[in-house]
Parts: sequence; structure tokens; C-alpha cells
Amino acid sequence: MKLLTANRLNDGRVIYLGVDDAVAETISTARPLEDAVAEQALAQAQSRPAVFVNPYLIEVEGRTPTGRDRLKERIRSAGPTVGHSLDFAARLEAP
Amino acid sequence: MYRYDEFDAALVRERIAEFSDQVDRRSSGELTEDEFKPLRLMNGVYLQLHAYMARVAVPYGVMNGRQMRQLAHVARTYDKGYGHFTTRTNIQFNWPALQDLPAILTDLAEVEMHAIQTSGNCIRNVTTDVFAGVAADEIEDPRPWCEIIRQWSTIHPEFSFLPRKFKIAVIGAAKDRAAIRTHDVGLQIVRGEDGQTAFRVFVGGGQGRLPHIAQEIASAVPGRSLLAYLTAILRAYNLLGRRDNIHKARIKILVAAIGIDAFRDEVERQFAILRQEDLRIPDEELARIQAYFTPPPFETVPAISPSYDAARRLNPEFARFTRSNLRDHKQAGYGAIIVSLKPIGGVPGDITAAQMEVVADLAEKFAFNEVRASYEQNLVLPHVRLDDAHAVWSRLREAGLATANADLATDIIACPGLDYCSLANARSIPVAQALSRQLADAALLEKLGPVRINISGCINACGHHHVGHIGVLGVDRKGEEYYQITVGGSPDEQAALGEIVGRSLPADEVAPAIARALDRYLEIRHDGELFIDTVRRLGADPFRTAIYELTDAAA
Repeated sequence: MKLLTANRLNDGRVIYLGVDDAVAETISTARPLEDAVAEQALAQAQSRPAVFVNPYLIEVEGRTPTGRDRLKERIRSAGPTVGHSLDFAARLEAP
Repeated sequence: MYRYDEFDAALVRERIAEFSDQVDRRSSGELTEDEFKPLRLMNGVYLQLHAYMARVAVPYGVMNGRQMRQLAHVARTYDKGYGHFTTRTNIQFNWPALQDLPAILTDLAEVEMHAIQTSGNCIRNVTTDVFAGVAADEIEDPRPWCEIIRQWSTIHPEFSFLPRKFKIAVIGAAKDRAAIRTHDVGLQIVRGEDGQTAFRVFVGGGQGRLPHIAQEIASAVPGRSLLAYLTAILRAYNLLGRRDNIHKARIKILVAAIGIDAFRDEVERQFAILRQEDLRIPDEELARIQAYFTPPPFETVPAISPSYDAARRLNPEFARFTRSNLRDHKQAGYGAIIVSLKPIGGVPGDITAAQMEVVADLAEKFAFNEVRASYEQNLVLPHVRLDDAHAVWSRLREAGLATANADLATDIIACPGLDYCSLANARSIPVAQALSRQLADAALLEKLGPVRINISGCINACGHHHVGHIGVLGVDRKGEEYYQITVGGSPDEQAALGEIVGRSLPADEVAPAIARALDRYLEIRHDGELFIDTVRRLGADPFRTAIYELTDAAA
């Protein structure tokens, strides 16, 4: 299975192709694609440059990245593994 | 410090207007990403793993308090409340939105800052000795020459589309505190035979995939001919440098391919046919620029400060800080304080908005309104009265900026790595953090003395691993992070590339392996011998043995 991912044009954030061709902001809401339809989805994403910047397909099992770039894709999906962006996220979640 | 004239201000203003229009056209879909990419790169904007990244120039690492406050404002308003100082003395913001970039540049322009020359195949932001105007061994302050190079190189029409990026560093002393021999061109101020300012010129240095230490091309280029000589070098490179292969496009490859003598002949040929009179720096212009860098109004005070000495006697923690982070100043009774952006277990080079404001306050109150960024990813308050050192330290300590580790083993230089960077193969920051925690003991750090450890997350070497006394390079092995270790690199006047000691190690073995190498150093060093000097005396072998001793035993 594959997921389609890209960076979003307006803020650069990591996005995925979701259900009904909507933009999914988290990997957990991305739409797993059969290999047969993945290339077609990629072509469609490439035709939406106002949203998808540099779209490409990643290999997954379920929604967990596999394949050679699996670490990079895990970090893309979850954010930096260390540092101040985590503090920032924690502040946002604090009541 | 230098202040913009009407030309600088107009240039920055026009560039923002131009880039704002490009952002609008990109947002509307009129420009494709392929069309937009070279335009955004000319304005310091990258697209990284998680977001756009904006790299802001800090010309030759010099800032004032107001600029630091504005960086804090940018971090807070458009980002996640922090920034990251780089090994090129620039600052990066990791999370700006595309639409905010014109506003960010407008806010920066209010304080005479911009993002020009921070990316693309142009002459990049020039760097220098962080102790310029401070160090007693300086022949002459290099900053006016940096400013002259900045003005000459900014949006230089002939050199805006070079084969590849081009980095220049300038020093004013024989001691190299700016790693000039790792640059495309390194300039060292010397005295010419006529007693006037001249430049010893090195060319063809660079790190990355094929690292080279720069070679001497000229021993004393007269100061007034500096721009003509640089033009000749750039012209030779622009004409002869390769454009067919991005990995072979830097000047280091050209110089290595044809040899330094043939390259020198080509530069001299170009130099001979230049219109020298157009490039000669007028005496009055040199004097005008030098006037911006006259020393601040120091007070005449004794070299010894009883209150400083008493504070050191009474407070061992402060005393330790002064031993590692306070440097001698040419002005009696003053010192330069290194603000550590390397807290134990922290992210090297990261600084929060609140910390930026503390540094701005301290610069304004205690350091004649000056802050410097060092290529080691720290900040420096360059002119602090010894009488004030304890007060400065107290504020820094409250803000988490007073780790006593400048130039010591936990003063680790590291690129953002795979946590942020789309080029990286492996993470750098977690390895730096693990090593920092492993070596955290302050007494051990002091016992080890100066050790430079550098970590890069890929072969592009933004963490300068080739010239670390100990270098760590992240590599990808079938989707797993591994790290190659080098020993014996050096960025200074005895510049050298490190030697790869053996097979790469998994992430969790790196910090213990380096700790063993440092333990071995303590066993085998001569009295008073620095780590790098022990490596130079004995080679990498003893350290190789220590690094692999456990893994070899297990195998």
C-alpha cells in the first residue's frame, strides 16, 4: 500500500491525500492507496499545485511508513523528535 | 557597527517588494514550485521537511540589541518561539508560512536585517573572527573589510549565478578563529612590505562530499587591491568551474583539478586585464567604513577588578564559567563573554525568544549594545567590564545561557539533521544531546580541556564534521541511522581533515564510544597537552582502539 504526501503550499506543512481527495493533516487520516490507483492519485495531486508542493508516494503498511525512507517519513509525520517545537506543542496543549 | 546608508535601505526595500510579488504569484498558482524555488532561495527561503525555513543573514555575525529583539519578535509572531543559529553565523526560523515571509522581511528591514546572500549560488554572507575588535593578537579589525566585501558582493550582477555557492571568511590575526581554510576564499590580514594592510589569500577550501583545505594563492595582496583580486578569483572560477555536475561545481574541485599553480596563473591573468581603477577601494571610503567600527567608548579602568576577583573566589560556579566562557579583551578591565547556546542535553544553536531578549538586554546594558554570533553556534557579548561580569553571568544563568562549556567537549557543533532538514540522512541533534549528557560533568569537562566535536546529518557537512577534533557523520544504512567517526580534524591555522577511524556505529553507541576515546586521551596525554595535540603526536590509532574496544570484544 501507499500514501500520497506533499508539503502544503501556503504553510509548507506536511499533508497527505485523505478520503474523497481531501487534504489530510495527519498520517492517521491519510487514505491508503492500492498500488494500482496510487500513480493516478499522484497525477491528480500534481494537477493541484495550489495545494500539493512536490507530491510523492510513500510505502506503508497500514499507515506506518516502511521502505527506505521510513525514518524520514516517520519524522515528517510526527514532527521533530527533539527540541523546542515539542515545548511549543506542549504549551498549546496546556490548559 | 555599520549602519545602512540610503543605498542599502533602498536595496533591501526593493528586494522585499519584488519578493512579495513573487510570493503572491506563487500563492495564486501563477508561478510553479520549479519557477519559484530559485526566487525564494535568493531570499533565504527553503522548503524543509515540516515547513518553509527562513534563513536570516547576520553579516559577519554582528548584531545590536534592537536587532536581537526583532529576531525575538519574529520567532514569537511567525514561528514557534525560537530560532537556530547556524555554523555560518546566520539564524534560521523553522516554521514560517509562505504568506508571512514578506511581513517577516519587512519587520527585519526595520532593524536593517535581511535574508539576502543566505542561499543560492552567489557570494554568501561573509564571516569573521567572533572576537574581532576584542582579541589582543589582532593586527587589524577585520570587520570593515567584511563590510566592504559585503557591499561589493551584494547582488553582484556578474557573480549572482556562479557554478555553486561561494563562501568568504576574513580574519585579522594569525590565530584562525573563523576556519578560513574551510572556505572557498579565506583572507588573513597581514602587514605588507610597505607596512600597509595586506591579505594573505587562501583558495579552494570547502567541506561537503569532497572536502579540501584551502591552499595559499597569494601571500600579501595590498588592501586597496583586495576587491580586484577577489574579482579575478571569482572571474576565473565563474569561467572555469564546472556546471555539469553539482557535486563538482565548487571552486575546491577546480583548484584541485588544475592545481594551485595553474589556478594562480589564471587568476593573475584575470587580474592583469581587470579595470583596476574601478575596483580600487578609495581611501576616503575605507576611512568612512572603518569609522563605523571604531572601538566603543571604553572606560579607563585598572586591568584588575577587585569585585570580579572576589566574586570568583566566593562562587566556584562563577569562577568555572569565567575560566571557560570569559575571554581576554585588548582593553584593560574588560572581557568578552561567550553566551552558551549548548545547554547540557539541549539543541546546539537553538535560542528561544525570551532568551534573545535577555541577550539583547545584556548587550544594551553591559556590552555597548553589541552581540556577536559565532560559527560555533554560540553568542558573544564582546565588551563587558570585569566589574559587570558577575551580574551578566547571573542573568545568563537564570535564562539557561551560562553553561560553562565554551570550546569544551559539550560545546558541540551540530546541524539540524533529519529532525528538520530535507537533505539529511540521519539525525544530528539526538546524538549531540546524548553526548552532551554523557560528558555533562563539569569537572570532567575542565579536565578534558578544549575538544571540538562536530556532528553532521549528511555529507553536505553543515556541522563541519571533517574539521572536528572528533567528527561524527550520520549515514543511512538501509533505512537505519549509523554514524561514521573521524579523529584529528582541525578548523584553525593548522587546518586538517579528520581521519575516518573505521566502520560506522549505530546511534546509541556513538556517545559511549566518544567518551572512551576521551578517556584514552586522559590516560596517554603528556602534561598540559591538548586533545588535538595528542592526536597530532600519536595519530588516530589509540582513539580507534578505544572507540571500537567494546564492539570488537563483542564480535
